[in-house]
Amino acid sequence: MNCTKHGFKKILSVALAGAFLLALGQTTRAAEKPYDEDTYGPAKPIVFAKPVKGVVFTHKIHTMDAGLACDSCHSGLFEMAAGTAEQNPDFTMKSLYEGKYCGACHDGSMAFSSKTRCTACHAGVHGYNKLMGAAPAGEGHGGH
Amino acid sequence: MKIRDLEKLENEGAETLPSEERRKFLRFGLAVTGVFLGGSVLSLTSVRDAKSYMGEMPSDAEKWPYKPHYSMVIIQNRCIDCERCMEACKQTNHVPSYGFRTKVYEQIRDIGNGKHERVFMPALCNHCNRPPCVRVCPTTATYKDKTNGIVMMDYKRCIGCKTCMAACPYNARYFKEENRAIDKCNFCFDTRLSKGETLTACAAACPAGVRNFGDISDTNSNVYQLVHRPDKVVWVLRPETGAMPNVFYTND
Repeated sequence: MNCTKHGFKKILSVALAGAFLLALGQTTRAAEKPYDEDTYGPAKPIVFAKPVKGVVFTHKIHTMDAGLACDSCHSGLFEMAAGTAEQNPDFTMKSLYEGKYCGACHDGSMAFSSKTRCTACHAGVHGYNKLMGAAPAGEGHGGH
Repeated sequence: MKIRDLEKLENEGAETLPSEERRKFLRFGLAVTGVFLGGSVLSLTSVRDAKSYMGEMPSDAEKWPYKPHYSMVIIQNRCIDCERCMEACKQTNHVPSYGFRTKVYEQIRDIGNGKHERVFMPALCNHCNRPPCVRVCPTTATYKDKTNGIVMMDYKRCIGCKTCMAACPYNARYFKEENRAIDKCNFCFDTRLSKGETLTACAAACPAGVRNFGDISDTNSNVYQLVHRPDKVVWVLRPETGAMPNVFYTND
């Protein structure tokens, strides 16, 4: 009798401890989750359309995940106002290879070279339409 | 077997080799040394002094290779889906908004560890050496040009039965309402090549050097050079159909 009671207590304590740990785990996980736009920049991805459509930049990957500070890029490489860079005529891959814009880090040593892994950033017209929620152009079925 | 002995062996061709076996070979990292002119990957042994193996002439081809033998080599991993090729094609060849002569397909590929990779694949008429569309056309409205091997359309003869659309392994045809006929890529023959241009509109518009166009029967051409890089794998789409396409794919 005594023995069973003791056993029950043990189970109860283990279960309680488990529940507590689970709750703790959830709170810590929940604490990791919030993305603070003031610290890490806008949550919404920046989608460039010039000179080619559908180049995606995500603040989270660069700030929260990679640990870069705002002044790593602003305002030396990029202006704070989104879409400023793509108005510049030199916002091209050639400039990137010369170390301008993204190429300041994406040079093959600090981060993957901008001459490789094209589709890591280029989501193309397919990606552009998906991100902008637009119906893909030229996919009509008039002819069938 | 020593490599010198391997080199002396006669090339058996790829048609006797099941594709699974070919893939296994490719996985071993052996260099691809030969390419059928408009065919599939041929020699899988590392033959150092091999230039090319032109393969057998397709038994049902009228003339082969053509002069010029137009071909396109697509360096797939350079494609960023900007679709300037599609825009240029539509403008040059008066393609209606619902139609297409070339497309860029998107694929999201699982690369392990929960990560994914985007791959874009441009596709167009492969101007096959053994074109299934030509074979099925009841009115000979689509035919292979006797000089350059381009798969052409004679709109006046087309009755719009769409059998060629069903036969094409590459989904390269559409029905053009304006003509009441099938329309397809002709490597810009009427709009550019016959007017002295050397590139198709899509190849000229590509900012990333994805679409390389030229005469593959000329050993000095860019396309010939691109399919004979011993350190690169070259593939064609749907080789199992036996269509022997003239559009090749490779990566940088």
